[in-house]
Amino acid sequence: MAAGKIISVSELSVEIMLNDVSVKNRDILYTTQDNGDIRRFEVIEIDGGTAVAIPFESVYGLKKGMEVEKEEKGLSMEYSDNILGRVFDSYGKLIDDTNIEYKHEKSVYRKPLELSEVKNNGEILWTGIKVLDFFAPMQKGFKMGLLGGAGVGKTVVIKELINNVYKGFGSNSVFVGVGERSREGKELYDELKSGDLLDKICMVFGQMGDNSMSRSKAVFSGLTAAEYLRDEKKQDVLLFIDNIYRFVQASSEIYADMKRMPIENGYPSNLETLISEVEERINSTPNGSITSFQAIYIPSDDITDEAVQAITQHLDGQVVLSRKVAERGIYPAVDVFNTRSSMIDIEKVGERHYRLVGEVLRYMDRYEELEEIIAVLGIEELSLEDKLIFYRSRKLRNYFTQPMFVAEQFTGMEGKYVKIEDVLNDVEDILSGKYDDTDESKFFMIGSLS
Amino acid sequence: MGKYLDELITKKIEEIKKKDNTFAIGKVIAVKEYIVEVSGLDEACFMEKIIVSNNSTGYVCSIGRHSCKVAIVEQNDDIYVGDDAVASGELFKGLYSTDSVGHIIDIFGHDRVTGSSFDNIHEIEVEKKNVPLMDRTAVVRPLETGIAGIDLIYPIGKGQRQLILGDKKTGKTQLCLDTIVNQKDKKVLCIYVAIGKTKKNIVNLYDELSKKGAMEHTIIVAAFNDDPSPLLYLTPYVALSIAEEYMMFGMDVLVVIDDLKRHANIHREMSLLVGKAPGREAYPADIFYTHSRLLEKGCQHKNGGSITILPIVETKGGDATSYIPTNIISITDGQLILSASSFQKGQKPAIDYGLSVSRLGGAVQLPEMKKLGAVVRRELLSYLETRKVYELANEDEMSDELKSKLRKGKAILDDLNQYKYSPRAKEEIIETFTKDVNGLVN
Repeated sequence: MAAGKIISVSELSVEIMLNDVSVKNRDILYTTQDNGDIRRFEVIEIDGGTAVAIPFESVYGLKKGMEVEKEEKGLSMEYSDNILGRVFDSYGKLIDDTNIEYKHEKSVYRKPLELSEVKNNGEILWTGIKVLDFFAPMQKGFKMGLLGGAGVGKTVVIKELINNVYKGFGSNSVFVGVGERSREGKELYDELKSGDLLDKICMVFGQMGDNSMSRSKAVFSGLTAAEYLRDEKKQDVLLFIDNIYRFVQASSEIYADMKRMPIENGYPSNLETLISEVEERINSTPNGSITSFQAIYIPSDDITDEAVQAITQHLDGQVVLSRKVAERGIYPAVDVFNTRSSMIDIEKVGERHYRLVGEVLRYMDRYEELEEIIAVLGIEELSLEDKLIFYRSRKLRNYFTQPMFVAEQFTGMEGKYVKIEDVLNDVEDILSGKYDDTDESKFFMIGSLS
Repeated sequence: MGKYLDELITKKIEEIKKKDNTFAIGKVIAVKEYIVEVSGLDEACFMEKIIVSNNSTGYVCSIGRHSCKVAIVEQNDDIYVGDDAVASGELFKGLYSTDSVGHIIDIFGHDRVTGSSFDNIHEIEVEKKNVPLMDRTAVVRPLETGIAGIDLIYPIGKGQRQLILGDKKTGKTQLCLDTIVNQKDKKVLCIYVAIGKTKKNIVNLYDELSKKGAMEHTIIVAAFNDDPSPLLYLTPYVALSIAEEYMMFGMDVLVVIDDLKRHANIHREMSLLVGKAPGREAYPADIFYTHSRLLEKGCQHKNGGSITILPIVETKGGDATSYIPTNIISITDGQLILSASSFQKGQKPAIDYGLSVSRLGGAVQLPEMKKLGAVVRRELLSYLETRKVYELANEDEMSDELKSKLRKGKAILDDLNQYKYSPRAKEEIIETFTKDVNGLVN
């Protein structure tokens, strides 16, 4: 006998009247259409004899009275030693026309980690991007957020990180594309493939043309792959997620369609629970570490957005990209005042680095004020000290731009990898006045000064 | 037996015959603007085409436990409670004819000027399945617009989605028309999709394109302001399905969508009407997906065909950071922002070079344009920024380097000006701006 019957259909959910079968949340039900097409649903809510389920694909053609069956297990992902170099969709299925041999299957959901399993390890991880290493240094096992509104360069920075960190360290990696452009996903795949770099990265895509369910599950499949590498292969893993905000967005679409009462700006009331489930899985254990870079979209350029805030509370560091900076042609368009890392600590990076960060921020802060004064009075009216701060800050600001390897097609310049010692030396020299006679344009889009 | 009864019986029999091959008949139980609630259609499937009151058509937009809701797309008569609603047994589809090139059409295969249908019409799905990620390839071929500020600095490639953003009357549509006209003899089919434009707008647009000889490679798919909202909502999807048909034959298609802000408003109106919860700015939660799946249809297919999309979004008070504009910016491969203040200062096209972005950049340019473009862009941006800071500074006290930088920047900005319908060839652009960056012009 069938497990149940469809009794109502809306764009993102179906109600199913259950026969005498026990169904729990996250079970998978499916229906077979007359033409043989199979449509699958995941149970999200049960109310007595009816269940609400979310369709994996479009609901076009579904009707009342269709019989549904229950699958043996919930959403799971195929895996084996060969997941590296492969491309999966959000539901853990291969989409690059290959097969996995000797495969195992594993649920994409798992029990939370015990406190005793969580481990913090300490090695510093330099990215070779001046502004990131200086203002927001990374550590193995870190969670670094890259926040930015639409079109300020999040994806370029993520790609540069893949270039510098993944290629540089050769760690096994997982890239999860959530609700971003298919074109970018494919181009990343092509670039890695043509550079012979595909052998250590596993990719999972649930991009923006896919429905809400697909976009909300991609991150689970990606995490499952990363956990496999950490727990079973005992490796240090790099995890790139572009873009974690889209996961929240897709979940809101689903809950809104179910007519659950929303909170501010239409987000679901269980916003923080949803994010915690995902973020708490990204952790390091004695088996290995997961270091993650997560792009976070800022809707409407509003950094106080609930979803953005709920995500950032899980992070160890954040780099904020701002439209105001991008508008001036400064890339990466980092807003230094909102960029931070728990590594900026005198005990972790040392006295010199710590002191220089403080000093640079003081200069930049004064520069912002001076800009307003100049707009009214002109440069000539400034005191000598302010003039020095003004010119040196402009040099610093230019210095923190950097030609990127992945942005050669925009800048026409070859990318540069800069060591942290060079950055510290150069910043110290600019602050001490060594370059006071050098024109500010000499600092723009360069690597190191020496 | 009178003639009257005979007629009545024949009529009834005809009606029964007509409905013979249909699934079921339901009754209208409620009418809320263009959303009709129907009971008795137990067999109807989601998105099925429903014929209400004999000659209005709509599609099933939600199936409840005891009734279903039908959005009316074409209303030809009044709808009363108790009217018949006939399920057609097939999914709601548009109609299209390949004879449409050069005409203003709707999504049912009608010529909107004459009102008549085209010959050799075929059905077209409202939304086709996504082009799989692995079937896409990199966007590398330039789509020449003939506008120096675009071709040189923020180029558009075939398969790219480039947003045109700006206030009212800043030349958004004009930019697209220039681009369409410039595709003459370049083997690019252009589809201009009008969502909620006035009839006057469309007549003007048609006349202008005809005058420039551009209608030969252009289709105008129009849904006017006074068409039912569900029709306005569906029009861009069907237009993209049409574009996909051509793309699958290996052709290059350019689609202009004018404009998506109106489309977002239509979607909000319909969602609130059926009782969905409002989110930010009262738009429904799925507003991002509404546009992301539409614009993801733009791509370079591995078979050689491509769909380039230029969506237009209108802003208020130059605010590019409000909800809908940022949503769409985060979908497209770049944005050209048109600024009212540049427009008033006489800069045409009024592109804000600081805020505009192309995520593909030089990848879609030919080598010499790419090399020059990167330099021009850098010089221009640094000029615009420096100009602000040194506005009040005394020129005599500036370093020579600074002076020459300011002079160069100004020359570039001046040379970017051009009138409408005066496309510039690649060679001309290269010649002019090579001079500028080398500082040969005083």
